[in-house]
Amino acid sequence: MKNVYKPITAEIVDVITETPTIKTFVVRPRETIAFKAGEFMEVTVPGVGEAPFTPSSSPSVKDTIDFTIMKVGKVTEAIHDMEKGALVGVRGPFGKGYPLDAWKGKEILIVGGGVGGAPLRALFLALVERLGDFKKILYCYGARTPQDIVYKKQIMEEWPRIDPKKVEIRLTVDEGDETWKGNVGVVTTVVKDLGLNLNNSVAIVCGPPIMMKFATFRLVEIGYPDNAIYLSMEKNMSCGIGKCGHCMLGEYMVCKDGPVLTYDLIKDKPAIWD
Amino acid sequence: METHYVTEADFVSLLSRLEKQGDLYVATHEDDKVAIKPFSEVGDFTYPGVRAFQPLKPLFFSMLEEVAEYPTEEEALRESKPFAIIGAASCDLRAIQALDRVFLEGDFKDPFYEERRRKGLIVSFDCTDPLDTCFCVLMGLNPYPEGGFDLNLTKVEGGYIVEVGSDKGKKVVDENKSLFKPATENHLSQRQAIRSKVTETVEKQSKEFRPAAAWQEILARAFDDSAWARNVETCVECAACLFICPTCQCFLLYDERAGDRYKRLKMWDACAYRNFAKVAGGANPRPHLVERFKHRYYHKLDYFPKNYGFEACTGCGRCIVACPGKIDMRKVLKEVCKS
Repeated sequence: MKNVYKPITAEIVDVITETPTIKTFVVRPRETIAFKAGEFMEVTVPGVGEAPFTPSSSPSVKDTIDFTIMKVGKVTEAIHDMEKGALVGVRGPFGKGYPLDAWKGKEILIVGGGVGGAPLRALFLALVERLGDFKKILYCYGARTPQDIVYKKQIMEEWPRIDPKKVEIRLTVDEGDETWKGNVGVVTTVVKDLGLNLNNSVAIVCGPPIMMKFATFRLVEIGYPDNAIYLSMEKNMSCGIGKCGHCMLGEYMVCKDGPVLTYDLIKDKPAIWD
Repeated sequence: METHYVTEADFVSLLSRLEKQGDLYVATHEDDKVAIKPFSEVGDFTYPGVRAFQPLKPLFFSMLEEVAEYPTEEEALRESKPFAIIGAASCDLRAIQALDRVFLEGDFKDPFYEERRRKGLIVSFDCTDPLDTCFCVLMGLNPYPEGGFDLNLTKVEGGYIVEVGSDKGKKVVDENKSLFKPATENHLSQRQAIRSKVTETVEKQSKEFRPAAAWQEILARAFDDSAWARNVETCVECAACLFICPTCQCFLLYDERAGDRYKRLKMWDACAYRNFAKVAGGANPRPHLVERFKHRYYHKLDYFPKNYGFEACTGCGRCIVACPGKIDMRKVLKEVCKS
């Protein structure tokens, strides 16, 4: 019998500083772990504890997994102090990720903010690897300032060149600086004139709670049906297996029934954005 | 269902034999209540008559236990010693059914709970002396067991009717054949009389609290009811209602250094605590006490039934007895139903 509470040891093989508060940790678990985009894992900092993160690397990369982590609490502060060669633990994957197969033939709108770009990168890369299955991908991403954009080189240089007819990237910052030539404003300001057929489109949202809320309202306003809006919910997932009770959202255990949930399922539940 | 009869003296002999096979716990009278104690301390058996003051859950789901050590290679999970509990009430059995659904269903089982369930023998009994806080009948239960036991006892003249409810229970009877006699028609009609009488008593004291519609239907309309805020006024956030609840299953995982390694512990937790659902980024879905208070009722009577088809409240009334603020779940629900 497998002990689901025991972490698998993983070595940090690279640390990439993304922004002043966000780093990407590339880890190599001692056992190969397969995951789907949007599923999450519990990362252990030995002796400190665990926290849930959705991998930010492509699910097709098998021997290493990227976790893009913002420094906000006890576990994330401890991991930010760790360097290449240090050991962490991983459990999972847990929950339900993005249903890519169900989206075949569709136009995909992705709306992301801040460190919410992490699960969205895994999603974006998984979509691009089978680009023939989808009609279009429009990726709208917002950060607080130009400094706070994650995966800057990929998102600003590489991704726009993948297939300009099918893949469009829109960036925005809340506050520009002297180097910034792009849009200034919250992410909803670029969610307009989409050029998408809403009857054949799905929207995926991931970011800080306040951004999730207003992005969702915006999507509803432009005509996305509630069941075509996929939200990556952030709750206090602790056990990861639907038993400890910490991540309940109405009757849903976000760790088991989510973390990706469509808006129609949760819109009437208490405190979905908090 | 297979039934037998055992005399009081022979039942104590049976317990002495069971004690040799593992840990044995009995529900026994202590002061003015019933308590679960090791048989080795009690040495005798008197029919409990009503649920023990403490729930059975710690026998299957420890208050605090080590669930992993790391970093180590994969090791075999520790085995539990066989054990038996003599004295589960109907409400206790329903609670175990609820815990089973949470811990044993889905893609991942809790291996520690599973091991304890596998090793545990559950002997239940028909209630004869319900407390005035008992309301099992409002939760779709009768004050006598109808399933979920290995063996069930009913007090009759001179001894007990023993009903077999599982293979595990049948094995106990088969291995101790000489202690059992056939249950007679007379015994069974005594059982019927006791069951009717006790059910009537609990029905009578619950009548004023019986809702006009299904709990889920009521709660669907009651989320913004002012009765919640009125009733939470005397709550001191001690979480006694949750720790004493036989179905509450929430827990916390935390890590500690242990020499050159680390261990992971699993400890009971309670949704009444302010930071229970808070995330590292600071968002907290239930920052106010009234929201956490409501969450308990909604989890038990709305969310749990949505997921598993029955209420995660057994009507045992332990939360009523334990509350220092004198909050009575029946009265809260009655007020909520009214509006």
